[in-house]
Amino acid sequence: MRAPRGLPTGFAELDERLPGKGWPRTGLIEILVSRFGSGELYLLLPALAALTRAATARWCVWVAPPLIPFAPALASRGVALDRVAVVGGTRSLWAFEQTLGSGACDAVLAWARQPKPRDIRRLQLAAERGRTLGVLFRPRRAARQASTAVLRLSLEPLAPGVRITLLKGRGVPRGAFCLNL
Amino acid sequence: MRASVFRSIPHGAWPAKPPAVAPLREVPSGAGASPAPELWAGVHLPGWDSAEKLGSLAARAQRFTPRVSLAPPDGLLLEVRGSLHLFAGVTGLRSAFMSECVRFKVQPVLAFAPTPLAALTAARAGKALEVLNAAQLVGQLAPLPLTALRWPEETLARLTRLGVHTVGAVLRLPRAGFARRFGAAQLATLDLLTGRAPDVRAAFRPRERFRRRREPGCEIASHDLLLAALAPLFADLGVFLRARQCGVTELECLLTHRQRQVTRCVLRLAAPCADAQRLAGLLGEHLSALQLPEAVRTCELRADSLVPHRQGSENLWQPGEQGGGAARETSGLIERLRARLGPEAVQGLGLLEGHRPESSWSLTAPPALTSPPAGDAAHAPIHPCGSAQRPLWLLAAPQPLAMQNGRPRRRGPLRLVSEPERIETGWWDGGEITRDYYTAIDIHGVRLWVFRERAAPHGWFLHGVFG
Repeated sequence: MRAPRGLPTGFAELDERLPGKGWPRTGLIEILVSRFGSGELYLLLPALAALTRAATARWCVWVAPPLIPFAPALASRGVALDRVAVVGGTRSLWAFEQTLGSGACDAVLAWARQPKPRDIRRLQLAAERGRTLGVLFRPRRAARQASTAVLRLSLEPLAPGVRITLLKGRGVPRGAFCLNL
Repeated sequence: MRASVFRSIPHGAWPAKPPAVAPLREVPSGAGASPAPELWAGVHLPGWDSAEKLGSLAARAQRFTPRVSLAPPDGLLLEVRGSLHLFAGVTGLRSAFMSECVRFKVQPVLAFAPTPLAALTAARAGKALEVLNAAQLVGQLAPLPLTALRWPEETLARLTRLGVHTVGAVLRLPRAGFARRFGAAQLATLDLLTGRAPDVRAAFRPRERFRRRREPGCEIASHDLLLAALAPLFADLGVFLRARQCGVTELECLLTHRQRQVTRCVLRLAAPCADAQRLAGLLGEHLSALQLPEAVRTCELRADSLVPHRQGSENLWQPGEQGGGAARETSGLIERLRARLGPEAVQGLGLLEGHRPESSWSLTAPPALTSPPAGDAAHAPIHPCGSAQRPLWLLAAPQPLAMQNGRPRRRGPLRLVSEPERIETGWWDGGEITRDYYTAIDIHGVRLWVFRERAAPHGWFLHGVFG
């Protein structure tokens, strides 16, 4: 079975390796980073910009971001700010699940410390229910944990770009490659 | 269970406030079969011009009689014949009304007369007349100045030139000649004044609100039971809203305890809602975030402001599909998040015209999904600083960095990889900054946005992370 058409990531090398030639439009993906700010957001920005500028764009929600998303930088990278919402406060997993399952969002980004495998399963179901792309940023050590996310990749900063290791995904070739952001 | 119904059951709980069952139109005694002659209290409120204040005073005036009419912008009419005995006559009613007006910080003039216009005219003339008998009406009105009738300037000037200054004088003029020279409308006013023609006044209808209380048979300690106890109230609310084609944007739930203070729980909605089940679900979220200090003895639902609302039709398209908007899902999401996490839970991002990084963005109300996205280049906001080197993350406040040999450190030495960008601004409003911003890379390869203050002591600060 061919994978449904994905959401172009904006990076040709990455598109080549992903099922559906892009990010999945529905489902939960995990991005594992050794440190916050390794380039993980730059990896997503072209796709987010395209999503927020579509004619029938829904929301793009940031759940419990660790710092303030800097609006001028987002705008200059092409993200339509009138489709961006920030959900703050505690209970980030609950808010993440609600937002994913609401059907009001195209993409939901969340930063969670230690979600359990059961939580990941719930989040994945919620993303399917809401036909939403959920992106969960987790520390690198979570790679050892099993996960029901449709796609997992880990990220390390390099001098000019990032080094991406695809950990899980339907039909993705194993192995690492470098990407210039 | 005890349910008290406010403003809808005629025999209510307050003996002092007669029920609001007045018909829309009043038919005066002269025209109909009603044997009791009317007595109107005219209230003049000098200097008032706010319809809202007049409405709230009218609502309070319903304490005295159900038959209250507005005479905008500064008048109020009360039919008080039936209430006189409750307030010990005209004098008692007058003083009770005056004390009611104290909270509105107004010194009204109150006049009593058998016709509404006569009462109002006397009050406007500043005369606190008390004409209880229709036979005395014309005699008592005679000395009032003509200006109190609020006729057009030109009519008043012509009457003055004729030497007619008082109501008494104008009533003595021949009717046919008066109508010919000054117009039939003015003659009709005089007929209303003296009671020759019936004066039909629209009754004031107060704003409707929903208030229901319930006392369950036992004290309730658990959230589930509390929701079950609230269910009949929500059923009532649903019927109430459906009958009026109204929705609510704010719903208040009051829970009383044996000893502790009343627990208040206010539900604010992004859009008017008439769906009682949805309201119940949202209040459930709200209550589950609430710590009840004690078992609940009674619960009450209040919706004080109703908003006209029609049930929309269901979408044919899924949200996000061609032609399908997600506006309903979005407002539902906002409400759920707010109910559980607090009113500030969901916010949008906006740009500001500031040159300081701290003041070039703001949190805004959550974006609405009604307008199409600002997708084309014409709407793309251009940031003044040309944000090529702007980080995606900003720290809420710059964080001081350690230094070693004049170089910044953060978990190891930082490597500066960009030319300095000088931001020097804010001198006009006291928030002056003079900083040199650099892109730095820490030992783990994370790109940071740091700056060095140009003023002594030339400290290094971390201000952002590139992401």
